[in-house]
Amino acid sequence: MADPISDERWAFLLERAGLDPAKAPERFAELREGYPLIARLQKSVRRQRDRAAEPSHTFNPKG
Amino acid sequence: MAVTDPSQFSLAEASRAIANGELTSEALTESYLARIAALDGDLHSFVLVLTDQALAAARAADAELKAGRSRGALHGIPIGLKDIYKTKGIRTTAGSRVYETHVPTEDAETWVRLRGAGAVLLGKQETHEFAIGGPDFTLPFPPARNPWNTAHYPAGSSSGTAAAVGAHLCAAGMGSDTGGSIRGPAAYCGIVGLKPTYGRVSRRGVFPLSYSLDHCGPLTRTVEDCALMMQALAGYDPLDPASASEPVPDYAAALSPRLDGVKIGVLRHFHERDAVAGFGPESAPSPIYTAAFDAAGRTLEALGATLVDLQVSPLVDYADTNRIILLAEAYALHEADFRERPHLFGRHMFARIGLGAFLSAADYVEALRQRRELCAEFAAAIAGVDVVISANATGPAPRIDTLGTFTTYTRASYTAPWNLTGSPALSVPIGFEDGLPLAFQIVGKPFDEARVLHTGYAFEQAAGLYRQQPPIAASLPGR
Repeated sequence: MADPISDERWAFLLERAGLDPAKAPERFAELREGYPLIARLQKSVRRQRDRAAEPSHTFNPKG
Repeated sequence: MAVTDPSQFSLAEASRAIANGELTSEALTESYLARIAALDGDLHSFVLVLTDQALAAARAADAELKAGRSRGALHGIPIGLKDIYKTKGIRTTAGSRVYETHVPTEDAETWVRLRGAGAVLLGKQETHEFAIGGPDFTLPFPPARNPWNTAHYPAGSSSGTAAAVGAHLCAAGMGSDTGGSIRGPAAYCGIVGLKPTYGRVSRRGVFPLSYSLDHCGPLTRTVEDCALMMQALAGYDPLDPASASEPVPDYAAALSPRLDGVKIGVLRHFHERDAVAGFGPESAPSPIYTAAFDAAGRTLEALGATLVDLQVSPLVDYADTNRIILLAEAYALHEADFRERPHLFGRHMFARIGLGAFLSAADYVEALRQRRELCAEFAAAIAGVDVVISANATGPAPRIDTLGTFTTYTRASYTAPWNLTGSPALSVPIGFEDGLPLAFQIVGKPFDEARVLHTGYAFEQAAGLYRQQPPIAASLPGR
């Protein structure tokens, strides 16, 4: 997978999440490779919706 | 019965043999323990075998029966539990170094119910780390192998349970399913797996992956066995916040070999169109799979069912909504360990769940809004039929050494939609490709597991595929 983000952006994301890559460098390197998947997933659920469209906060399998 | 090796019995057959005095639980348990000792070195389906406890429980079951007390169909039946089911005083690892020596002080509610129904616990079975991170060769527990070909993947995350059931190392087992972790392994291992309706079976005492998507359910060799397990498992648990207080029917009584008057919706666009359109050519179903799916439809028609094509939103909408909710919920519950001791996670668990750190609150809410829309859409689609059939894994199990870390997010998932909707969904074998099993799903209306099982049973009896067993399932020499 192509690296989609700069070193600075990656460092910012980790810091915001409270994650320290020095604790597991190999794991974090692989995590960075998967980052492009997040953009695809976000695009899949970001749609134009009526403001009144509710989330499934009261989950009911019969609903 | 002609069979002399009791491990060759289905759960239902063993149950009848125990009930009428032709078989003891002790003999059945010994048979499975001998098979585990002889075969599990290659299969890696168990992470802990409870030899002494199992034999003691089996002898107690026999004594109870001799004294005139039967607990029902599961009396004396040896089973296994995926190692995310908590067992009091028995190590429960969740397949992770984080819990490598963890010994719970409580039992999962499902195990309490199964034990109360007479089941005997043979041991704890291999799981992907926290029900998502596998197959991972960096963990202390070797990944389970496919019983049809041990070079191949049994799917996951209930991999050990499915492999053990398929190889006749236990009569049945319990898995969990957040995006397909019961039905995927059932498909690849050539057995039956049921993800019940959300709320139907308690999740209490099972390590969570994603609170609003997690389901617990059985893996069995036949649909009848599945019905017998469900009879013990289903029902309200006031201590599980998602549990539903719905009546529990007699599942075995619902099984019959004809489908006259049953209307079945067919969701064929998921595999015929959406898989490639949404996930690329790597997700294309194999021609043999497509033919097997169509042949299964003709079998259902021959049994008296009426088939109608249904159309809903593209598969990618369902699968990606599931994935965002799963990532957000799973990361939240593991966040402290990601911050404090990330080195303990295996590489697949770390990378797959770590992505959740980069989702925003708005992403999660948007996924929940989309979930509501998709649930409403599917409820309308299934309203006009009794059950729906859809694809499961659309080709044979790949080799176990060919799976990438992020494949679980980049390939089509036919099982994830039914975690999103909470619908009951049953995986049943429909054929073979290259000597490896293929399967489809039968999906029902909420809490209508009885109709799902009925449809699966009629198909299974007509297709007869349950009679085909992997070579590893054959009797041991001398038995």
